Amino acid sequence: METIVTRPAAAISKRAGAVRVTAVQMGTVSGILAVTAGAFFEVRPPDAYGVCMACHGRDLVNWTINALGGTHLTVAPASLVFPVLTPIGVLLGALLGAATTGEFRWWTPESSFKAFVYGLLVMNFALLAGGCSIRLLLRTAAGEALGMIGFAGMVAGVILGTVWLRWRATR
Amino acid sequence: MTAAIATLVIGVILGYLGQRSRMCFVGGIRDFMLVRDTYLVKGLIAFGLSAWLAFPLVGLLVGVRPGPFGGSDAVTVVLTILGGFGVGYVSVLANGCPLRQHVLAAQGVRSSIAYLAGFFGGAVIFHVWTAPLLFSLLP
Repeated sequence: METIVTRPAAAISKRAGAVRVTAVQMGTVSGILAVTAGAFFEVRPPDAYGVCMACHGRDLVNWTINALGGTHLTVAPASLVFPVLTPIGVLLGALLGAATTGEFRWWTPESSFKAFVYGLLVMNFALLAGGCSIRLLLRTAAGEALGMIGFAGMVAGVILGTVWLRWRATR
Repeated sequence: MTAAIATLVIGVILGYLGQRSRMCFVGGIRDFMLVRDTYLVKGLIAFGLSAWLAFPLVGLLVGVRPGPFGGSDAVTVVLTILGGFGVGYVSVLANGCPLRQHVLAAQGVRSSIAYLAGFFGGAVIFHVWTAPLLFSLLP
C-alpha cells in the first residue's frame, strides 16, 4: 500500500525546475497521437491500433522470435514486415525524462516474483480482450462495441481490485 | 517501416510525457475511489475525449473512418469481458497499467523490470499455450 501515490499532483508541484506535464496534457497529446498513428503512419490494420502497450509488445517480441527462430507466432498485420517499436520508444522516452530530472533510482518496491506473475497475467488478459487499458479506451473512442465491452470490464476490474486493496489494508 | 519509425517516435513522446506526468490508465479510477483524487482520472478522460474527437476529424482529412467492426459472437463477448476484467484487476494489484510499468522500469524500479519480463514472456505464452488451450476448450 505504501507504494500508492495518494496525491500525485502534490508530488509533482514539489519538483521545482523540472518540466511539468499534467495528466490531462499527457492524455490529450497521447489521444491525438494514437489516432494520427493509425490514420497517417500505417499503424493499421487492425483499426484503432495506434497505441497499445500489450499488442505492440506482443508484436515486437513475436516478430523478433519469428525472425530469429523461423517460427510463426501471431503478429498483427501492421507488424508483418517490420514490427512496431512502441515499447522501446516508451522505455527510451521515460529514461530520458527520468535522467534529465534526476529521478532515476534503482529500487525494489515489491516482490519481483509477484511483479513477474502480474505482468504475465496482464499480458494474457490483455491479448484476450484485444488491448491493454490504453487500446481498450482507444477502441471505445473509435466507437467499437467490443472495445466498449472490454473497457467496461476493465473498469469493473479496477473497481473490484481497489475494493480488494482497501479491504486488505483495513482488515 | 513507416509504422516502426512512427511508433518509435510516438513511444518516446509518450514515455517522456508519461514519466513527467506519472500518467496511469488504471490509477485514475483507483485514486478516485481510495482518496477522491481526480488528477489521474482527468488524464484518462482527456485521452478518451481527444481520441473520440480526433477520429472523425482525421477521418475527414484522409477519408478513412474506423469502419464497421466485424460481428461478434457470444463467446468473443464473454472472453473480451473476462480479458478486460483481468487487465483492470491485476493492473491494480500490480500498481499500474502497462504504460506506467514501462515508465517505472525505465526509472530503475526493479519489480517493474520483472513485470516487463513477465509481460513479454506472457505474449509468447499466450500464443503458444493460452490461445490454443482456449480454442480447444471452446466450441
